[in-house]
Amino acid sequence: MKKISILHLGGTISSKVDYKTGGVSSKFSEKDMLELYPEIKKIAKISSRLIANMLSEDMNFQHYNLISKEIQKEVKKGTEGIIITHGTDTLHYTSAALSFILEHLPIPVILVGAQRSSDRGSSDAELNLICALNFIAQSNFSGIAVCMHSSTSDDACLILPPTKSRKIHSSRRDAFKAINSKPIARVTKQGNIGFIKKITEKNGNFKLYLFNPDLKIGILKSHPNLSSLEIKNYSKFDGLVIEGTGLGHIAVNKIDSLTNENENVLKELKKLAKKIPIIMTTQCIFGRTNLDVYSSGRKLQEAGILGTQLDMTTETAFIKLAWLLSNHKKEEIPKLINKNYRNEISSRTSLDFLDYVYT
Amino acid sequence: MEKLNYKKLGFKAGLEIHQQLDGKKLFCKCPVKTNKKETPDLTIKRKIRAVAGESGKKDIAALYEEKKDKTFIYEFYQDCNCLVEIDEEPPNNINQDSLEAALQLSLLLKAKIEPKIKIMRKIVIDGSNVSGFQRTMLISTNGKIKTSKGTVKIETILLEEEAAKKIASNGKDITYRLDRLGVPLIEIATSPDIKDPEHAKETAETIGMILRSIDLTKRGLGTIRQDINLSIKNSPRIEIKGFQDLRSIPKITEYETKRLINDPPKKGEVRKAEKDLTTTFLRPLPGKARMYPETDHKEIEITGDLLSKITPPELITERTLNLERKYNLSPQLAAEIVKKKVGFIRYTKEFPRLSPKIIAYILVEAPKELRSRFHVTKKLKASDFEFIIENLNSNKIPRDAILDVFLKLSKGLHPNLTQYSSLSDKEIEKTIETIIAENQGAPFNALMGIAMSKLKNRVEGKKIAETIKKFT
Repeated sequence: MKKISILHLGGTISSKVDYKTGGVSSKFSEKDMLELYPEIKKIAKISSRLIANMLSEDMNFQHYNLISKEIQKEVKKGTEGIIITHGTDTLHYTSAALSFILEHLPIPVILVGAQRSSDRGSSDAELNLICALNFIAQSNFSGIAVCMHSSTSDDACLILPPTKSRKIHSSRRDAFKAINSKPIARVTKQGNIGFIKKITEKNGNFKLYLFNPDLKIGILKSHPNLSSLEIKNYSKFDGLVIEGTGLGHIAVNKIDSLTNENENVLKELKKLAKKIPIIMTTQCIFGRTNLDVYSSGRKLQEAGILGTQLDMTTETAFIKLAWLLSNHKKEEIPKLINKNYRNEISSRTSLDFLDYVYT
Repeated sequence: MEKLNYKKLGFKAGLEIHQQLDGKKLFCKCPVKTNKKETPDLTIKRKIRAVAGESGKKDIAALYEEKKDKTFIYEFYQDCNCLVEIDEEPPNNINQDSLEAALQLSLLLKAKIEPKIKIMRKIVIDGSNVSGFQRTMLISTNGKIKTSKGTVKIETILLEEEAAKKIASNGKDITYRLDRLGVPLIEIATSPDIKDPEHAKETAETIGMILRSIDLTKRGLGTIRQDINLSIKNSPRIEIKGFQDLRSIPKITEYETKRLINDPPKKGEVRKAEKDLTTTFLRPLPGKARMYPETDHKEIEITGDLLSKITPPELITERTLNLERKYNLSPQLAAEIVKKKVGFIRYTKEFPRLSPKIIAYILVEAPKELRSRFHVTKKLKASDFEFIIENLNSNKIPRDAILDVFLKLSKGLHPNLTQYSSLSDKEIEKTIETIIAENQGAPFNALMGIAMSKLKNRVEGKKIAETIKKFT
C-alpha cells in the first residue's frame, strides 16, 4: 500500500460543526479523518495533519511557499502521494502556483475541495477524497492536479490540469472544469481510472522556485464606461493582468465626442506599461487572446501590452506573472510570458475543449 | 498526325505550380498530415454566401457557385484540426518555417523578395475554404529559370493556405475533409514564355526539381499540382488543371491546342486534364476582382536580419553531380542517395575508414537486394543501418555478412556478432583438425563443405582450403 499524506488547509472540506461552540472547526487529525471515512484505510496507508486552517480566499503568496515547503518535507520523508484539502474559491490559483513553484515534483499532489461541508450527509467531500486516493494509489502520475466531482452525481471525479482549470460555478459539486484543455483523467468511486489527456513531465531534479511575497500584482477587469483612474490605481504595482473583453480588449478608441475618456485610458496604459509588465487575458474564459484582429488590440500591443495569442486563464496568468517576477528580471517578462513552463499554454485550440464542460 | 507549328499559331503558355510544404500548418500549430481514420471526429454544416470583393463587383465564379445554394459538410479530425481551420479562431502568427522555405525558393529562382508581405484573402466560395476565402501572400516577383528553349520568367511566388479536399457531392451537399485545409502551399506562376507542349513539360520538371531541393517540400502523391494556362492567336485563355503525370503534359496540351483551332470557345474556361489525354469543361474562367486584405494578421516585414539567415539549399541536380564526382559514384546511385535522404555524407564523415561505395551499398543497394532476393518488405530502421555501418567499421561484421545481418535485423532479431568474428590461425587449424579426425578418409570437397558450413561468415574460403590441404 502506498504511503499517502493528507495535508489540511481548511475550507469547506475540512469543516465540521463544533458542538461546543456552534461554530466550524477544522481540527483534522488522522483519527478524525479515519473516523469520518473509515474506508480510506483500504486504499492507502494514511497520515494526516493540519498545516493551516483558513478559507481559501484569505490566502496569499506566502501560503503557496508554505505549502510547497510542506510538500518538500513530505517528499524527503518518502511519502508517495499527497492530498491537500483546500477551500474551493481560490483552489485553482493554488494549483497553478504549486505547479510553477515545484519543478519536477516526483510524486502526485492532488488538491481536493468540497462544495458541501464534510459534516453533512450529502457532502461531496467523500467521493472527491476517495477518487483522489484511488488515483494516487493506482496510477503513475506525478505532479499537481485537482480532483473534484465530474458531474452532479456522486459517481466519478475528474482529475484536472493544475494550470488550466477553474471554478466556474459558485455552488455546484461539479464546479471545476478544465479550461482550454482536457481533463487529465476520470476516476470512478470504485477506482477505475480512464486517462483522457497524457501529461508529459520532463525528468529532472526536484526544485522549488518560490514566490516573492512582497510583490503587488493586480487584476483589472475590462468593462464599459472604464475610467482612466482605474489604470492609474496600479502605478505602484509590480505587474498587472487585464482581463479583457473578447479577444483581449479594453476601451482605447476615441471615436466621437462621447469617447474622450478612452483616449485617457490608452495614455495611462502606455505610461503604466513602461513601468510594469501588463498581461492581457480574456474574460470569456474559453479561447485564445488575439491582439492582431481589431484596431484596439493593435493599439494595445503598440502600448506594450503583452499576452497576445495565449490561452491562459486570468488566474493562471496572474500566478505566472507573479512567479516570473519572483524569479526573473522585469525586462525578461515579455519573452518569458510566452514560454510554456507547466502546460499553461496549449499550442492548438482543440474543438473538444469546450465539450468537457458538459460531460 | 500533322505536326503543329506553335510559333505560327501564336501559342502562348504559362505554368502555375502548387507545392505543399511539410511541418505545421500555415496559420496554426496543427501538424501537416493526411487523415487515416475512417470516420471523422465531428461533422460541421455551413453555408457560404458570395460577398463583394475589394472592387465592389461580385466575382463571376462566385456568382456561378452561389446560384447552386449548397450546404457544405466539413469532416473534422481532432489530431489534425483545431479551431483555426473551422474559422472559429483567428489565424495564429504565420508559420516561420514555411515563410523561410518560400524565401529560400525565391532565392533559388532569383526572384525579388517583397520588403513587406501583406496577407490577402482570396474569395473562394466553392466551400473548399471554411472561411469563404483562402489566405495568400505575394512573397516575390520577377524570378527566372533557364531551359533548353530559353529563359522562362517566374512572375510571382506566393505562399498560401491549401484548400480542404472534396470527398463527396450529391447535388445539394458537398462534403470536404479538413485535414488538408491550411497546409502551407507555395504557388509559382511563370510568364507565358513556354513555347510548345514539350517545353511545358521541361519547365514543369525543372521547377519541380528546384522545389524538391528545399527541405520542407512535402513529397508523395498529390503534394504537387501543375496547371497550364494557354492560348493561341484569337482564342480565349484556357486553364487546364489536374495533370496526373508530367509525362501527360505534352499530349494534353497538344490536344487542347487542336481543340482551340477546330472548336474555339467564346469565353475562357477552366478544364480538367483527363486520363485519356483529353480535357473536359470544369467552369468558366474566374475573373480577377477577388482579393481583399486579411485584417487578422499583421503585415510581415522581411528584415535584412531575417534574409541574412536564409541560405538557399544546393539544387538536387548540383548535389547529385557533386556526389558523383567526389565519391566516384554512378549517376543513378548518386541520384538515389539525394532523393532518399539516407544520410550518406554524415556516414562517410563519421566512418572515414569505410569506403564511400560500401556505405552507399548499405544505404541504397542492400535494402533493394533484401526486397528482391529475400522479400523483405518491412522498412529498415535508421538504427539498423547505423548498427551495420558501425560494426563493419570495427571489423565485427565482415563484408560478406552484411545481408545476413540485415536479414536478422529485419526479423527483429539481435544478431550475435561473435558468429562473424574472425578466428586466429590457431583456432582455424584446431577446428579443421577436428573435422578431419571426425571424417577419416573423406575427400577434399566433402571436408571443404563441412568446414565452410562451420566457419561461414568468419573465415574466407581460400584460407579454409589452404588449411585443409596443410593437414591432409
